[in-house]
Amino acid sequence: MSNTQVVTVRGLRKAYQGRVVVDGVDLDVPAGEIIGLIGANGAGKTTTVECVQGLRRPDAGTLRVLGYDPVTQAEELRPLIGSQLQDSALPDRLRVAEAVTLFSTVRAVDGGELLERFGLSQLRRSAFSALSGGERQRLFLVLALLNRPRLVILDELTQGLDPAARRNVWASVRQLHDEGTTVLLVTHEMDEAEALCGQVVVMRTGRVVDAGTPADLVDRYAQTATIHFTLPDPPAPLLDELRRLDGVHRVERAGPRVTVYGSRLIIAHVGAALVRWDTVPGDLSVHIPSLEDALLQLLNKRPPAGTPAVAEMDLTGGRR
Amino acid sequence: MNTAVGRLARAELKLMTRDPLVLTFVFAFPVVTMLIIGGAFGTTPDRAFDFTNPSHWYVASYLTVVIAATGLVMLPVHLASYRERGVLRRFAAAGFPRWSFAIAQLIVGLVTTAVACVFLLAVAAPVYGIPAVHDGWRVVAALSLGAIAFVSIGVLLGSLLPSARAAQAVGLLIFFPSFLLGAGGPPPPVMGSVVRKIADPLPLTLLTNAVREPWLGLGPATGSLIAVAALAVVATVIAARRTAL
Repeated sequence: MSNTQVVTVRGLRKAYQGRVVVDGVDLDVPAGEIIGLIGANGAGKTTTVECVQGLRRPDAGTLRVLGYDPVTQAEELRPLIGSQLQDSALPDRLRVAEAVTLFSTVRAVDGGELLERFGLSQLRRSAFSALSGGERQRLFLVLALLNRPRLVILDELTQGLDPAARRNVWASVRQLHDEGTTVLLVTHEMDEAEALCGQVVVMRTGRVVDAGTPADLVDRYAQTATIHFTLPDPPAPLLDELRRLDGVHRVERAGPRVTVYGSRLIIAHVGAALVRWDTVPGDLSVHIPSLEDALLQLLNKRPPAGTPAVAEMDLTGGRR
Repeated sequence: MNTAVGRLARAELKLMTRDPLVLTFVFAFPVVTMLIIGGAFGTTPDRAFDFTNPSHWYVASYLTVVIAATGLVMLPVHLASYRERGVLRRFAAAGFPRWSFAIAQLIVGLVTTAVACVFLLAVAAPVYGIPAVHDGWRVVAALSLGAIAFVSIGVLLGSLLPSARAAQAVGLLIFFPSFLLGAGGPPPPVMGSVVRKIADPLPLTLLTNAVREPWLGLGPATGSLIAVAALAVVATVIAARRTAL
């Protein structure tokens, strides 16, 4: 294990009643990074992080987290991890300020300051059951950060938050990163992974299928940009020229509606061609592939030939 | 006391005072039923009550109703609800030590029982009077061991039953027959032989005997006391293992 790795997992395997949910996962989380664990529901993401936290005992594999073995040293390890768990709660009648007191160890920072930072100061006396979904998530985040954790695990962090609250929480996670905290983020919100994570690990049916920066994955699996525009009577020579442009895969016409598919290069080339023809349409729209497009492609087909083996990558390996 | 157990016990005690189930079953129910049953049989010593004052007989019996209500109704629902909703997982993930929750529950159960017992005696004193305690050490030993036994049984039920609703159903199903046959119902001499055969080995019957007999000077009830002690040891060991975080 490298000293710069906060989490090292090799060959993790876990089954529930004979059903394998994590099957030979390798995972490295470097210090100070935000690493996203992404994939469809049931991919094994939550089980993986539960094993990392020492909340579940793996059937096979080795794990090292902050220098501890989560299986045999869970009591030493857990206080060093701040976690926001999926599907968990606090006692209904516990008030916000009481929750902060309950979870504060001797290592704790000023809970009042954290409540202020996450907009919960006014709710100190509110019972957990009276909080909205977003307020609960923010309280969980406060509790996760309370005891100066060296590793923060956030599982479906912004589930149920409105867009403004999501942006606030994202800003807090970025702040954590700026302060040097390592974050392992489990999500199936691709915009969240794209906005926050330096590296993402993609899981499917219990296995790691690929990893890299969000941009790498988009380049690898979702290269097709799409341009739509409408011209009352698109001239055939223009359409021929568009077909010959560098990066264009195909051009479709349905009445006045024209759609051009190709690599990201086509955005500049098609725009330039339309300007040359002096026919700049008012409704021109461009769809640039996102991590979500990449994930959909990745989950539906094998990576193209020539993709570096996952085990060779900086972040993670693990196809077994 | 900023230990994990201290923080958990303080928070849990506060939560108990806000729980309507606790206020109803542990505080109100034993007091109300003691007042009714104690009044129904009057104060004249009677053969059915081993020639003691029936009201005193019930005052000496009802402390165990408080203990049973804590163990069979309050704690199972409380714990099953925590498990069902992921509260225990959150405690575990936050680094609370393995045994901290079990110890905190034991403290909370014992404190709740003690406060509810004092409340019951405070209500009984001006109405029926509190009977003189003949063998205080045995009574205190029985109450302490009984509280540990029933709190542990409650913790155990809460860890075994799949949901808060199931815990409530099973808890009440065990509590009411135990209450009627072992503490707050008719005195054993008026029960039929079959009913007595069912009642005699019940944990609450054994505990009530272990408290009432030395309290009223009816005998040492050593057998019942030993049975309650054994139950306390076994239930505590199993419950602690089941509730380790």
